[in-house]
Amino acid sequence: MIEKARSFIECMYGMSVPAFFITNRKLFIMPEEIQDTQKIFHDEVARIKTLSEAELLKVKYLGRTGVVSELMKVIPKLPVDKRASYGKQINALKDEISKILADHINRLSLEKKSSYKKEVFDVTLPGKLPCIGKKHPLTQTIADIKDVFARLGFEVVFGPEVESEYYNFDALNIPSDHPSRTDFDTFYIKEDVLLRSQTSTVQIRIMEKQKPPIRIIAPGIVYRPDTVDARHSFMFHQVEGLLVDEGVSFADLKGTLYQFIKSYFGENVQMRFRPSFFPFTEPSAEVDISCSLCSGKGCSVCSYSGWVEILGAGMVDPNVFEAVHYDAEKYTGFAFGMGVERVTMLKYGIDDIRLFYENDMRFLSQF
Amino acid sequence: MKISYEWLKDYVCFDLSPQMLAEKLTNAGLVVAGIEPVEDDYCVDIEITANRSDCLGFIGIAREVAAMTKGNIQRPELGIDISSVSDDVSQFIKVEVKEPILCPEYTARVVRNITVKPSPEWLQKRLKCIGLRPVNNVVDITNYIMMESGQPLHAFDLDKVAGRQIQVRKAESGEEIVAINGARRVLFHDMLVIADEKRPIAIAGVMGGKETEVTESTKNILIECARFEPRQVRRTSKSLGIVSDSSCRFERGTDPLGLDYASKRTAKLIFEHAGGEICKGVIDVGAVRNEAKKVVLRIDRLQKILGLEINRDVIPDILTRLQFKILNYVDNFIDVEIPSFRGDVSREIDLIEEVSRMYGYNNIPTKTSISIRGSKKSKYETVEDFIREILIGLGFYETKTFSIVNYAFLGGGNLWISEGEEAVEIVNPLRQEESVLRTSLLPSLIRVKMHNANHGYEQVKLFEIAKVYLKREKLPHEKNCLSLLEAADFFEGKGIVQLLLKNLKIHAKCEWVNFNETRLFKNERAAKILLDGKTIGYLGEASKELGFKTLCTLLELDMDALVEKANFDKKYRTPSPYPMIMRDFAILVDEGIAWASIENCINNLEISTLKEVHYFDIYRGKQIPEGKKSIAFNVSFQSHDRTLKSEEVDNESDVILDALYKKLGAELRKQ
Repeated sequence: MIEKARSFIECMYGMSVPAFFITNRKLFIMPEEIQDTQKIFHDEVARIKTLSEAELLKVKYLGRTGVVSELMKVIPKLPVDKRASYGKQINALKDEISKILADHINRLSLEKKSSYKKEVFDVTLPGKLPCIGKKHPLTQTIADIKDVFARLGFEVVFGPEVESEYYNFDALNIPSDHPSRTDFDTFYIKEDVLLRSQTSTVQIRIMEKQKPPIRIIAPGIVYRPDTVDARHSFMFHQVEGLLVDEGVSFADLKGTLYQFIKSYFGENVQMRFRPSFFPFTEPSAEVDISCSLCSGKGCSVCSYSGWVEILGAGMVDPNVFEAVHYDAEKYTGFAFGMGVERVTMLKYGIDDIRLFYENDMRFLSQF
Repeated sequence: MKISYEWLKDYVCFDLSPQMLAEKLTNAGLVVAGIEPVEDDYCVDIEITANRSDCLGFIGIAREVAAMTKGNIQRPELGIDISSVSDDVSQFIKVEVKEPILCPEYTARVVRNITVKPSPEWLQKRLKCIGLRPVNNVVDITNYIMMESGQPLHAFDLDKVAGRQIQVRKAESGEEIVAINGARRVLFHDMLVIADEKRPIAIAGVMGGKETEVTESTKNILIECARFEPRQVRRTSKSLGIVSDSSCRFERGTDPLGLDYASKRTAKLIFEHAGGEICKGVIDVGAVRNEAKKVVLRIDRLQKILGLEINRDVIPDILTRLQFKILNYVDNFIDVEIPSFRGDVSREIDLIEEVSRMYGYNNIPTKTSISIRGSKKSKYETVEDFIREILIGLGFYETKTFSIVNYAFLGGGNLWISEGEEAVEIVNPLRQEESVLRTSLLPSLIRVKMHNANHGYEQVKLFEIAKVYLKREKLPHEKNCLSLLEAADFFEGKGIVQLLLKNLKIHAKCEWVNFNETRLFKNERAAKILLDGKTIGYLGEASKELGFKTLCTLLELDMDALVEKANFDKKYRTPSPYPMIMRDFAILVDEGIAWASIENCINNLEISTLKEVHYFDIYRGKQIPEGKKSIAFNVSFQSHDRTLKSEEVDNESDVILDALYKKLGAELRKQ
């Protein structure tokens, strides 16, 4: 019987049965009494270390010719009145042994599985990435700029790209003989109709329709017939800002732009206002920030000055207010404008403006 | 304008290194673009803004430096040694100005018996430092004084001026001149010239002529010092393609009172370095002493504009340093006289700028005292951002392409305009082939796809939100469009449209109609999309003509229409607690019956418990008769107030089948 059990286990589990099960005869002495059996079983179970030992023990006790079967055989020999209670005891014992062995076999087989598995779950393999797209970097910059100004109460407005000379020049106090009006500097569609060369046109359109207070920013496309190279594009984006109210001063302009620059370029950036000239603002300023690449030490991006120009600004010229019938004595205001491509190039270290319009995936996927 | 650091010291005393000088100038609005060491000197390159023509000379810049450093201007001596003076100038030359508007003032001096030779070393060095090539003493001195004063001058060889007569007149069309730089130009009747008895000898304000230029053999010279109308000079310079130091200065306007100084100073220097004798007097045509401009500056206005509390005494101090004359200063008002060289200053606000510039922009406080105000996002922005986020989430990359296109490429796309209709054209395009404002975004996206395919990226998903331009009477209609390109089939593209409509809660009636009026799409697999009967877009699989290696679907939608119809009102509705019952149908219909008519037929029954009709399959095959197709769909039923009974749903199903049979001849497919 033992041999049979042994070969069965070897066949089933592909392992050798420890010799001690076969040689230690004492283990295989058939107990006569139920209590004996129970006691011996518990001793034996306590010594189990491997799955094969557990399987062997299961054969010994619960096999067809095992200990429990042997004990069953006693029943017919017992007096009739004792048979029922003896039978119950044996069944209880059988249940107990089955349960205990099942638990052990379960536990040991789990242990065996985890210690003998062939595949190792490699959590360092790469994940399966879903594909998402990207915003164009210029859209991102415009969104960032809009965000900052929206929090300061500026509303986003738009205007046409194809404009009349009035909105692009006349109303902005640009004299009729100004060089920017020539077809070297402006694209024309026909007499008096052109592609706007600045988003300042939107200022006029809004002020014509609305009375102060005004607080707007106008992002959009502008056009200038510049020959395309790494720094120039005949089409580019600007964001124009305008604030008109009673008591608005140059100091407010500085404060507002400072808020923007800190939010967009970071807390540590320095700002510098330089006098400049635009026909539609007076006083006019160009605004520089400390060069982020060299932290103001001087590099090729900032032409070794430590500063890079990022926007033009100024107090709205009284002539502009006159064109939209605002009382320049009552209201004052400031306007500013910046090139979106320029700001984006500075922020991300992009060295060629043409990249924005080529839409190469190797470029777009980096933002 | 390039200046020499050492030369500048002739006119103003300052104790600043070139770098410190550059910083001061930059902070006053004269941006220094670069500093180059030249031998023992420095060349400082200053960008002069269009309004500051007075700074196109050393004295102008010296005035700024003096104002900044509280120093003094030193003007060179003008006195001419009387012994050098000979006969009266009028004996040697006559001047007639025929165009007094284009030439408001013309002066001429004559110096006789000079010796033309190379300039002295110091003069040559100074000119070289600022990038000018020394020629001879006479030419160099006229250049030197132009650089010093900002007033251009020209010297003619007097003996070559025919008839000893100068005429300032319009050119005759077809007249020719060879300029000093060797350029031969044919002149037109709208150009102003300086002519002698026979021919033009200079292009007024732009460049002198070769024939009368000063050479080694020149003995007697005429020094021209004049004022020309800026627009005239700019036009002529542009149309002849000749730009000179002189034209750059005249274009921006010169000091009306600056002629006398420059003319005298030139004559004096020529006398000193070329000898000879200066003729007595000057011929001065058109000299009108214009009244100086006066402007009132209010202190409270200045403080209001700048947001600055400023000491009363600082303002007149700054203005005086800039050579404005304070006529009167009482309480709030300063009466200011504007010097002639500041043509850019004529209003109170101009004076406020002058004060703020010298006070220093960086000394004005950085305040944030503007009031709190809310701002609202417009519906357009909301929809645009929403769509962009969805598409990016779906894996689409956003592109930005040029709105000026080559219309020959794919016929411009031809979606929103009909065949033969014109696009908006640019009169002065950079390149003749790219001269039209686009009427569709798709050709641009197709180019982006091609570009990326050439770099190994075949499976791109692209979109762009931009304008198309449709020609109208005066200004074009600028329509915002969404365009999309994807390596996918028609129905995947349609799915995106439906997804957008659904999420924008656009419930208007949407129709899909076969469309074959563009070269972009495959004829059989394209549609026009209508919303409430109005065209809102086009969808189709890319035409073979485009040469894509993979199947590709193109879409263009009218963003403005989507924005108009979009609805962001949200209201929660409790879902029905009662179960939903579903019935599957497979029907046989004629090939020509569209799904839309089946769906409409069912929806038109207005069954109150009908929740949704859902298509899931179409089948044509062995068991299906010729000319027929099997369409499978399911219909779900649900009530908000009770559990539907099976028989009820069966009855409604029969109603549906009955209607489909009667209207469309559809039969339930037998297994």
